[in-house]
Amino acid sequence: MEKFSRIILVLVAILILAITLPMLYWMAFEKPIKKPNVFYSCTDDDFFIQRAGTPIIFEDSKGNKYTREKFEQKLPMMNFQQLMVSGLMPDSIKGKAIDIHEVGRNRSFIRIKPEDMNCPKPKLFPMFESQSGRASLELPNDYFRITWRVEFIDAGSNKILEEKSQLFSAALYHKGFAFPAIKIEGIPTTRKSCDEGYLIVDSSNQLFHVKMIKGQPFVKKISLPEGLKFKHIACVDFKDKKYYAYLISDKDGIYILTQDEYELIKFPVTEYDAGNCELKIFGDLFNYNVTVDAEGHTDVIILNKEYKKVDSYHESWPKLSDRTEGKIFGYLFPVELLMEDRNSKYINFYWKGSGGKGWIILNLLLVAVHFLILRQREAKLKGHTVDLALVAVTGIYGFLAVHLFQNKFFD
Amino acid sequence: MWKSIVYKEWLKIRWFLIGFTTLGIVGIGYLFLKVQHGFTFNGGSGFWYNILFMGFQFFGYFKYFPLFGGLLIGVAQYFPETINKRIKLTFHLPLKENNVLLMMHAFGVVCLLISFLLLLGMFVTMSNFYFPSQMVYDSVVSVIPWFLAGLVAYFFVALIVLEPVWMYRFFYTLVAGFFADIYIKSPVIAAYGPAIPGLFVLTILMSVALLFSAYRFRKGEM
Repeated sequence: MEKFSRIILVLVAILILAITLPMLYWMAFEKPIKKPNVFYSCTDDDFFIQRAGTPIIFEDSKGNKYTREKFEQKLPMMNFQQLMVSGLMPDSIKGKAIDIHEVGRNRSFIRIKPEDMNCPKPKLFPMFESQSGRASLELPNDYFRITWRVEFIDAGSNKILEEKSQLFSAALYHKGFAFPAIKIEGIPTTRKSCDEGYLIVDSSNQLFHVKMIKGQPFVKKISLPEGLKFKHIACVDFKDKKYYAYLISDKDGIYILTQDEYELIKFPVTEYDAGNCELKIFGDLFNYNVTVDAEGHTDVIILNKEYKKVDSYHESWPKLSDRTEGKIFGYLFPVELLMEDRNSKYINFYWKGSGGKGWIILNLLLVAVHFLILRQREAKLKGHTVDLALVAVTGIYGFLAVHLFQNKFFD
Repeated sequence: MWKSIVYKEWLKIRWFLIGFTTLGIVGIGYLFLKVQHGFTFNGGSGFWYNILFMGFQFFGYFKYFPLFGGLLIGVAQYFPETINKRIKLTFHLPLKENNVLLMMHAFGVVCLLISFLLLLGMFVTMSNFYFPSQMVYDSVVSVIPWFLAGLVAYFFVALIVLEPVWMYRFFYTLVAGFFADIYIKSPVIAAYGPAIPGLFVLTILMSVALLFSAYRFRKGEM
């Protein structure tokens, strides 16, 4: 029993060391990567890149250097406020007269991170009145959930509002909704220009648009191509009111859902891996700039206002495991354990390989050292086979753990 | 004989256990008094909104309380055994040494579990009064690791207090600190969902940890 308790303690120590030693290593040795900020110029139809450093470098895709002021002039959609202040905003671009209000109306930005998809989501939502006749939205006193039916619960009394629940349940049921909902996405805040309710995915992966108009349910079933499933929906409230949301399919396709027509349009972007990449979409008067940032590279895809690809840019840099500190890490540690992952908001046991095979050498060396220590102590090897195996597999973690919780009493 | 051992353990921890549980009941009462106050002044809707969409954890005050309980009961139960090495008297009883230790340990765990379940039950009951089941479930997922941290603290106190060598006590305390930390991260509400089964297994495994230092204690490691 004592031996068993010792093995448990050794395993716990290995677990803790696999968390703390890599954490301390990265804190001491990791160097930041200065990722480029890539923009597309609607005046030059070329990519312009801002690189962090001292001084900050402003250049185009051919390596020509610019002053900050010149750089900003090449990107009038991005810097129109600064150019207006400086009096440098062009009157027309590509023969199109520039109306500053139109520029502002066409600007949009969204950032979707992997952790936005891998996180605990609320299961209750406020159903705003979409046409209250008031200038601003008001937070209702009840919240809805969709389980075997729609249920509105009064927050003050924590009681189900039966009449309203039945009204909305019936409306969804008559539109062919398969209860329960597996995804409810909207913009649950009063700080938006207007309310467009929620996009809801039912248990048969059908997509519905649901909102409340003058106390009555509005339900629209949206026709989807066969087999299309969404893993993330990001509703938007942009000034141009062209679409309700960005939708990410289970195959990492990027879609928009147009307002009123409910047309699904797929962006011609194949570089996106939703589980590991950050997606940024900047829309302006002329283009959509789709930026896909991954650990070792960035891809920028430019779409025109008809959502057709007009240009793209790719730049890569060494991943952490390919850099010097990453390679040394690969020689020292077989794996690392993280309780928090940058691609998820869940706490879990995230085991990550160190990215190399060099640790095998250190592991074998530590087995030899441990063997010599045992020989010096004239210990019986039979009682130490588990320790030797743990050192062989877990390397430095196991070596420290078996010496922290020593086995010599069982010799 | 067994009854006497249990009674001895009860004498050691009773006031600490009663005091901790009473403090916990008062604490949870205070927690829901604040909820009631929030409902009265801001309305239920605003209070729910802050929990659902603003990341407000109304039970956050409670985070370190079970950990404190585990430390308290562990120290109350095992520290007296190390004064003048009194535990040696227990080892001289005509019973198997490990069985006696495990009985002492099991009694401590059961007492702590009763206290924790009482507090958790009170928390769930009162939460159900103010919040729908989905919000209560998410809250419970968030607080369960804190209660497990309390049990882990108890197991580590037993291990550390019975360890005869000060240097190892220091190392074990370091391991305990880092280990307890994985139970009390500060994530968004319900983020511990996927980790809870693993944390349960680790907690159960840690329950026999004291046998190692007790063995070293018996063998007279210096």
